[in-house]
Amino acid sequence: MAAPLELSCWGGGWGLPSVHSESLVVMAYAKFSGAPLKVNVIDKTWRGSRGDVPILTTEDNIVSQPAKILNFLRKQKYNADCELSAKQGADTLAYIALLEEKLLPAVLHTFWVENDNYFTVTKPWFASRIPFPLSLILPGRMSRGALNRILLTRGEPPLYHVNEVEAKIYRDAKECLNLLSNRLGTSQFFFGDTPSTLDAYVFGFLAPLYKVHFPKVHLQEHLKQLSNLCRLCDDILNSYFRHGPVAFSSMNRNQ
Amino acid sequence: MSLVAEAFVSQIAATEPWPENATLYQQLRGEQILLSDNAASLAVQAFLQMCNLPIRVECRANAEYMSPSGKVPFIHVGNQVVSELGPIVQFVKAKGHSLSDGLDEVQKAEMKAYMELVNNMLLTAELYLQWCDEATVGEITHARYGSPYPWPLNHILAYQKQWEVKRKMKAIGWGNKTLDQVLEDVDQCCQALSQRLGTQHYFFNKQPTELDALVFGHLYTILTTQLTSDELSEKVKNYSNLLAFCRRIEQCYFEDQCKGRLS
Repeated sequence: MAAPLELSCWGGGWGLPSVHSESLVVMAYAKFSGAPLKVNVIDKTWRGSRGDVPILTTEDNIVSQPAKILNFLRKQKYNADCELSAKQGADTLAYIALLEEKLLPAVLHTFWVENDNYFTVTKPWFASRIPFPLSLILPGRMSRGALNRILLTRGEPPLYHVNEVEAKIYRDAKECLNLLSNRLGTSQFFFGDTPSTLDAYVFGFLAPLYKVHFPKVHLQEHLKQLSNLCRLCDDILNSYFRHGPVAFSSMNRNQ
Repeated sequence: MSLVAEAFVSQIAATEPWPENATLYQQLRGEQILLSDNAASLAVQAFLQMCNLPIRVECRANAEYMSPSGKVPFIHVGNQVVSELGPIVQFVKAKGHSLSDGLDEVQKAEMKAYMELVNNMLLTAELYLQWCDEATVGEITHARYGSPYPWPLNHILAYQKQWEVKRKMKAIGWGNKTLDQVLEDVDQCCQALSQRLGTQHYFFNKQPTELDALVFGHLYTILTTQLTSDELSEKVKNYSNLLAFCRRIEQCYFEDQCKGRLS
C-alpha cells in the first residue's frame, strides 16, 4: 500500500483531466477510492511508452488496460465498491458490458473515424503530444485500430463497410444513453450517494463526448438532452477534479 | 440488416400472423455444430418456446452461409429470414408477442445490460475456447467445423474461420489473454448472473424473458457439451441456483424434445 503508484496517460483539455476515455476511467476510480496516484501526462518528450495507455507502474508491477488496473487497485485495498450489495456489483458488471458493446463503437467513431472530427480535432490534439516523427504515424494507427474494431464487432460480412454500420452504431449508442439515463433517474450517482466503479466507467466514456468541441456533433446533441447524465459528469468534475481548469464545466451547469 | 431493411421487415411482419411452418436453421447437430452456435440456437429455441410459437428445427451444413448476417441460427417465417436473437426478438415483437412488455424502464435497461454481459463475456469466452485454445482447436473444432466438406475444403474453411475469430479477439483486446484469465472472466460472469438471479425462479418477476432464454441457452450448452477438459462446465457448476434455473427451464419448456440430461 505504501508503494508509489504512477499512472501514465493522455493529458486533458476542454475542462477534462484527460481526453482519453480509458485514462479517464482510471483517474476517476482512483479519486473515488482514494488511491494516491501520481499522474504522468504523455507529452512530446520520448520518455515513457505510448502504446496500450493507460499504464499503471508500481515498484514491481506494470499493469495496463482499465479493467486490470482497477482489479489491481482493489487488491491494494483501494475499493470504491465496498458499500455495494452483491446484486449491485453484478449490475455494475452488466452495465459496463452494455457500455462497451453499445456505446464504445459510437464514441470511437466520433473521435477517430468521422473524417471532419478526426482531421480537425483528434489528430492535431494527439499529434501535438507525440514527438516527431512518431506524430505522423501513431494517430493514423490509432484511427485504423478504431475502425478495425468497429467493423469486426459490428460489421456484417461480406461487405465490411463503415457506412453500413454507422447508422446502426449511432442508433445503438443513443439507445444506450437513454437506458443509462433511465437507470440513473434522479439519484446523485448510480448506486446512492457515493460514486462507484460504474460511475467511473460512465464518466470516462461520456465526459469526452460531452465536453470536447467537435464539428460533427449529433451524438453529443443527444447526450446534452439527457440532463441527468450531464449533471453526473459535471458533479464528478467539480467535486473530484476541481484543481483542473473549471471555466468550461461551470458554463454547463444545469441546475 | 440496414435500418431501412429492418423497418421494412417490421412493417411486413406486423401484418401476418405466425405461420405453422416456421423453421429454424442451424448446423448439423451431431457432427458439425460448435459450442457457441449451439448455445445461440438453443437460446432462440427457448425464447420461441417461451412465447408459445411453434418452430421446426432444420439442420443444414451450410446454415452459416444461408444466414443473412453470417451468423446462426436464423429463422424462416413466411417469406422473411431473420438471424440472431436480438433481431428475432424484435421481429416477434412486431408480430405482437413479447416477453418483456411487463417490465418497467429500469428493468428493461437491466435486462439489456445483462444480455450484453452474456454476449460480451460468455459468448466471447466460448469463441476463445473453441478457436484460440490450441488443444481444443486441434482435437475438436477443426474436425467438427469442416466435417461435412471434402478435403481440402474442410481444412481451408476451418483455418479461415479461425483466422477471422482470432482477428476479432485481437481487436477487442482478448488476443493476449491466457486460458486461465478467460476462465476467470467466465467465473465472474456466472457469479454476476447468480447474484442477480438470487432465489428467484426467473431473472424478472415470475415470468421468463429473453434474458432467461439467452442465459439458459449458453449455460445448458456449456454444461452438456463434451470438451477437452471440464474446466468451463466446472465454473458454472459452482453456482447451484444457476443449475436449478437450467433444470427448471428444461423441464418446463423442453420436456418433449430435449434428449440431453444435466448430470
